[in-house]
Parts: sequence; C-alpha cells; structure tokens
Amino acid sequence: MFEARGLMVFYENMLALNNVSLTCGKDRIIGVFGANSAGKSTLMYTLSGIMSDIRTKEEMAGGERITIRGQVIFEGQDISELKPSKRARAGIILCPERRRIFPESTVMENLMIGAYLANSRQTSETLDYVLRIFSPLVRISKRLGGFLSGGEQQMLAIGRALMAQPKLLLLDEPLLGLSPIIQYMLAKSIKEIRDERGTSIIVSEQYARPIMPIIDYGYILENGSAVVDGTNRELMDNPDVKSAYFGS
Amino acid sequence: MEIIIYGIINSVTLALMALGFTLVYGVSRLPNFAHGALYVLTGYVAWMLMYRVGLYYPIAMVLSLIITGLVGAAMYQFVLVRIRGMAISEIIASYAIGLAILEGLRWGGLKGGTITLPPFVDGSIELIGVSVDYQRLIVVLIGVLLVGLLWLFVNRTKLGLALKGMAQDERAAMTLGIDSDYMAVVAMALGSVLAGIAALVLFPLGSIVVESGYNVLIMAVAVCIVGGLGSWNGAILAAFIIGFAQILTQVYLGAHYQVVVALVAIIVTLISRPSGLFGRQKELEERV
Repeated sequence: MFEARGLMVFYENMLALNNVSLTCGKDRIIGVFGANSAGKSTLMYTLSGIMSDIRTKEEMAGGERITIRGQVIFEGQDISELKPSKRARAGIILCPERRRIFPESTVMENLMIGAYLANSRQTSETLDYVLRIFSPLVRISKRLGGFLSGGEQQMLAIGRALMAQPKLLLLDEPLLGLSPIIQYMLAKSIKEIRDERGTSIIVSEQYARPIMPIIDYGYILENGSAVVDGTNRELMDNPDVKSAYFGS
Repeated sequence: MEIIIYGIINSVTLALMALGFTLVYGVSRLPNFAHGALYVLTGYVAWMLMYRVGLYYPIAMVLSLIITGLVGAAMYQFVLVRIRGMAISEIIASYAIGLAILEGLRWGGLKGGTITLPPFVDGSIELIGVSVDYQRLIVVLIGVLLVGLLWLFVNRTKLGLALKGMAQDERAAMTLGIDSDYMAVVAMALGSVLAGIAALVLFPLGSIVVESGYNVLIMAVAVCIVGGLGSWNGAILAAFIIGFAQILTQVYLGAHYQVVVALVAIIVTLISRPSGLFGRQKELEERV
C-alpha cells in the first residue's frame, strides 16, 4: 500500500538518508528506530512531503542546498513530487516531532483545525472517537494548547492528526520526553487506533521498549542507513538491537 | 464629550484602516506594503464605475471590492509567491507594487480634491450635545460589524480556522492538508477587500486623493506595531490608544500633529516594548 524506494537526502554534501527503502502494508504498524541524528525525522519529513517544502524554502532564501532522491509510492501512485498538502489529501498525515500544537488555540480548536480535510459527518464521528480514546482531553477542551503538559500535548497531536482522516499515519517520536506510564498508555492507544480504524501507522522512536511490542515490522536506522530490519520478534532476538535499544 | 465621541470615531477609523494589514501579516507573515494603494484603488474604481460607467452606488461598491480582492490575490500569485520568507524583499516588492498603483493613478488623472464618493446617508444628528454626521456613525457601525463578522469567520468556519492554524504554525498546518500558498492567496484577497471596505466607508468623508494611500499605510503600520504584529486584539487596542491620542493632540495642540502622533507611537513602542502590546515575537517556551 505504501512504499518508499531508495530514498536519499543530502543537506549540502552531508548524507542524511542513505538509500532507505521501506514498505507498509494495509493495517500494519511499522517501527523506525534510531538514535539522535540517525535520520528518523528526515525520513518522516521526506515521506510526508515536508522535506520538499523545506528544500523550496531554503532554495528561495539561498540557504542550504537540499537534494532528495528516490520514490514514494502510495496506493500504486508515485507521489514523490506532490506537495505536503496534496499528500495529506491523499491520506498521509504526519504527526510531527515535538507535536507542534497550535499554542494559541484551545484543545477543541486544535482538533477542529485538524478537521480541515474532513466533511461534517467525519468530523463529528472522529471527534467522538478521539475524545473517547484520549478521554483526558474532554476535561481540558477549553485550555490553550500552549498550556498543556507533554502527555496532553501528545494525545492532542495524535487526535488532531486523526481528525484529518489519515489512511497512513506517520508518528514522529510520539513518546519523546514522556513518563513511562504515559508512554505505555500511548503505545496502547496507537495499537487501538490501528485495530479499530484500520489506519496504517509508521512510528519512529528513539527508545524502542514501549513501541516494539505493538509493531508488525521494524527498521533500525543508523547514520541515515537502514541497517537491520525484521518483524518485532526478529528484532527483539537480535543481540545487537537488544544491547543498543533495550539497554540490556 | 466631543473628545470621547470623536475619539471613538477616529479609533474605529484607524482600526478599519489596519484590519486588512493585520490579517495578512498574522496569517502569512507577509507585510503588505501595498495596503494603502489597494485602499485608494478601491475608492477610485468605485468612483469610475459610478460616474464613468454609470452603475448604481451599491453595485459599484461591490464590484470595486471584488476587483480589489482579485488584484490582491494576483499580487501574491504572480509576484510575492516568488519571494516568500524573505521579509525585506516582501516589503520592497509590495511597496513597489503599491507605488506603481498610486503613482499610476496620479498619472492617470487622479489629482486635486475634485473627485469624491457621496455619503451613504446625508445629514447629521445631535449625540449628547455633539453634532455627528450619519456617515461617521456608519463608519463606527461598519467597523464594529466587520470585527464581529471577522471573529465569526475565523473561529467558526473551516477556512477561517485553517487561516488561524496557518498563522500559528505553518508546518503543522501543512501536515493537516492546509496549503500555505492557497491560504496566503485567500488572506491577501481578504485583506485587500478589508482595505477596500475601509476605503468605501471612509472616502465619502473627504475626497479621493493619492496621498491618503500613504497616510493609510502609515496608520496601518503604526497600529500594527503598537498592538504587536499579527495580533488582532492588540491592533484594536492600539487603534483606540492612537485614535484618542490623535484627538487629544488635535484639541490641545493642533490638527497637523496627527501623523506625528502615529510615528511617535511607533518609536515609543519600539524603544519600550519592541514586540508591541500583544506581540508574539517571544513564543511560549516549548515543553518537551
């Protein structure tokens, strides 16, 4: 359903992604693991099209020269050249790194801005769903986005992405900086979203332990290259992966 | 009494002049220095349609607003889109377009105080002992109405919410399927129409002259800087502060200090509080 072939991204001469290929079937959860600067966010930005927008902006401002190579294929169509808004319309929604909540809008307004692509029936249905799986949001629905805790922000960010009716949800480091309890709760919610709505999900994370049990297939990124891949069982049994990502 | 009533009228006038500028800057971080030119253009086009083409006043007004909106959208679509994100170039390019429009109009015969739009309703009324003409009341009425409608538009409609999202975080908005160029075109068209509405209600109070374009631009910039760039609440508050300050100096010092007040307000703001009353220059610290 979704496939990336031979992605290469250069910032000037620095290689940020080196020939990365990945596939995500329907109803799958794919994990992408790697340390800081391994290329996780670059990968997510490339898949969602934000990277080409960054490239255009840098080009216009005479800044860094960014080169993007490779193909992104979604439902049989080559979408490598599509703008981020067009990809979102096709069903690829990125929930970006550090959440990027709209700070001056209330929780409810954040969700309603997220519903830009949804019709009114989808909006009310998804809103009910989001407030059910992330019930803490109900109590704080009138609070401004800038005044939420990290966990609340992350729930809101995922909820807002769901409002945009994703077929493929890209989650970039959703657990960053959260307490272990919230991390496990969110991991459970991510699995529920896949099970109940049939949304395919690609999730990137630095710390693998909470996410590893819910993924179907995973990739390990190191210095921009996908060095190991496999099902979650294979990854968990791999001694290198074990020592690097589970700290044991 | 006079100070209060004329202070309110003057403040709403300033708010009307600044609304479009604030909207465009707030949404797309685009300082539209052709704002004043679009203002004069609307007045001139309405006058042309009325006296040269012979249309009814209301039809001429609506048509002139549509034309101004299209001009604003075209300005973004064909020129400004190529220099997005480079603030200095955006200012220079939009100001150049503004100059071209204004001086083009002057060259095309818009000079002297000869042409003017008629007031919507003639006559005047006594308000608590002060005589106010109907047109000035209409200015206040339309100003309040416009702010209310804009609030509804931005908070209740899908397009308005998308504009609000774009104003806060462009990249986050893009991930949700909101197209930044489309939104900038919408904002420019809407901002131009707002400048046009201001022109149509304010020009009947005087005559249509090229200089008012520069004047409106200075006022809009002053209001936006004092209020904090891109902040609506700030702009309205600043319009009242500057508006009353102008009336006070007019009463106690003399009429020709009006523009000086606006410029002094800019300087004082930049010295004491560079991001303005409600400025967003300093973002909330990001929580990780």
